[in-house]
Amino acid sequence: MIEFRNVSASYDGELPVLRDVSLTIPDGDFVAFAGTNGAGKSTTMRLINGLLKPTSGEVLLDGVPTTALRTSEVARKVGFLFQNPDRQICQPTVREELLFGFTAVGEGGPDAEACVDAMIEAFGFDADAEPFLLNRGTRQLLALASIIVREPDVVVLDEPTTGLDYRECAKVMEAVGRLNAAGATVVMVCHDMEVVGDYARRVIAMTAGTVVDDGPTFKVLRRPETLRRAHLLPPQVTEVSMLLGADPALAGTAVARADTLDEMAAAVAALASEAARAAARERAALGACAPMGGE
Amino acid sequence: MAGFLEYVPGESLLHRMNPVAKLACALILSVACFCTGNLVFLLGVVVLDLALAASCSMTRQALGLARAVAAFSAVLALIALLTTPEGAVLAPLPWGYVGTGSVLAAVRIIVRLVACAVPLFLVMYVTQMNDLANALVKMAHVPYRYAFTFTSTVHFIPVFMNDMAGIMEAQTARGVEFDGSFAKRLRLMAPLCVPLLVSSVRKTNSAAIAAEVRGFNLRTAASGYKTYPMAARDWAALAACVLVLAAAIALSALGM
Repeated sequence: MIEFRNVSASYDGELPVLRDVSLTIPDGDFVAFAGTNGAGKSTTMRLINGLLKPTSGEVLLDGVPTTALRTSEVARKVGFLFQNPDRQICQPTVREELLFGFTAVGEGGPDAEACVDAMIEAFGFDADAEPFLLNRGTRQLLALASIIVREPDVVVLDEPTTGLDYRECAKVMEAVGRLNAAGATVVMVCHDMEVVGDYARRVIAMTAGTVVDDGPTFKVLRRPETLRRAHLLPPQVTEVSMLLGADPALAGTAVARADTLDEMAAAVAALASEAARAAARERAALGACAPMGGE
Repeated sequence: MAGFLEYVPGESLLHRMNPVAKLACALILSVACFCTGNLVFLLGVVVLDLALAASCSMTRQALGLARAVAAFSAVLALIALLTTPEGAVLAPLPWGYVGTGSVLAAVRIIVRLVACAVPLFLVMYVTQMNDLANALVKMAHVPYRYAFTFTSTVHFIPVFMNDMAGIMEAQTARGVEFDGSFAKRLRLMAPLCVPLLVSSVRKTNSAAIAAEVRGFNLRTAASGYKTYPMAARDWAALAACVLVLAAAIALSALGM
């Protein structure tokens, strides 16, 4: 379990980038931090894996303050995927890169090699390939694989889908989803609310170093005040449901209140678009949308 | 806060000086330091350096630079100490001895390098790289490609330092501990040169392409909009530096 108790943090000791943040992330949760650049999301990630120590308050990892742990000790429990995989990759082959996660903490050996072989097979990597010659998406996958090969209890992802196309993004997030399903806690920073909406069960919205909202994804991303304060755009499906004024009590029907034909057309077009996307992803189709009101 | 060799905005006299005049003054002071081995003179130049740094609120940066240069030159000083048997014997060595003259030679190396390096670095902190490049092209008629190469090199130093810090942070997050003995740190840092090199090549390649598509080869000395006239303060500063150089040459000629 990760616990923040009244945590404030600063990079230069003067300007606080995180102010009195308190939150708890239980084991096995899938949490997304959302907010604008400079909101304090990445700082929160750095605090979790001990790269940054709080200026006041405590960050507890399974009840132990990160200030009492060496970064290498934290690294055994927390895997951290950086936005730029090229900062992480440093070995001449894919195999050695995956193995480096073990040797860095002195855990090399036959067991480590077996884990690496399994990971190479699971991700379909070419074991002898030169990592820097792989494309951006595959490098990001390799960076992720080199983190999760050690099966950490917590995986922290700092904008894992930046610069990836839809297919690459889906590949990375599916791997993360499988990890979470296997019991790992996933904490990620992500600007793509579609990804957040698809994968995260909980959203923590931040602005100016403070938490403005914290709760289940489908609730946080529907609160206009949260969206306004954290400058967030909800996923399209949420936007459509908000636009249509969907009420769960209506069990499969949605009632739209549109004052003009244009508004109604926009609502229907957005709904159709989302339905097509959902079908393409072979996910559950949206329910029927009738009756529609309006002019 | 600005990083290593990054411009720090300000309105001090050094900030307002002509970029070429600043560079010329720094070079003259550096040459003066190599014209004489007089320790008092060299210490005087160090004091002058620090006074100049203080005048533009760069004392902290200047002291940091002085410390770094002193640490770097300590290796040279050690070699001088062990290979310059001069003065009264302090400690015999199998191949000679360490004498009072050896100690002076070692100290002289450190003070000289600090004295000549600080003004050169100070120029970078008080001058925008674009201004320096443009002024060199307009006033000193340096071909733009060389001025651009110079300023790009200086510009990339903090970028690469930042990259290296990021790479080390990423490895720290994987459990690598960069503390311990020098040999251990060297062993751990060696593989990190690969991502740094890759990042450097990618960045320089991108910068070159960006420059090309923005008409790099079409640029001439007349392309710059800004002008860099020499003011009275620039001439005065140059004259003062020439006097320092003359003093160094005179001390050398007099054998002092």
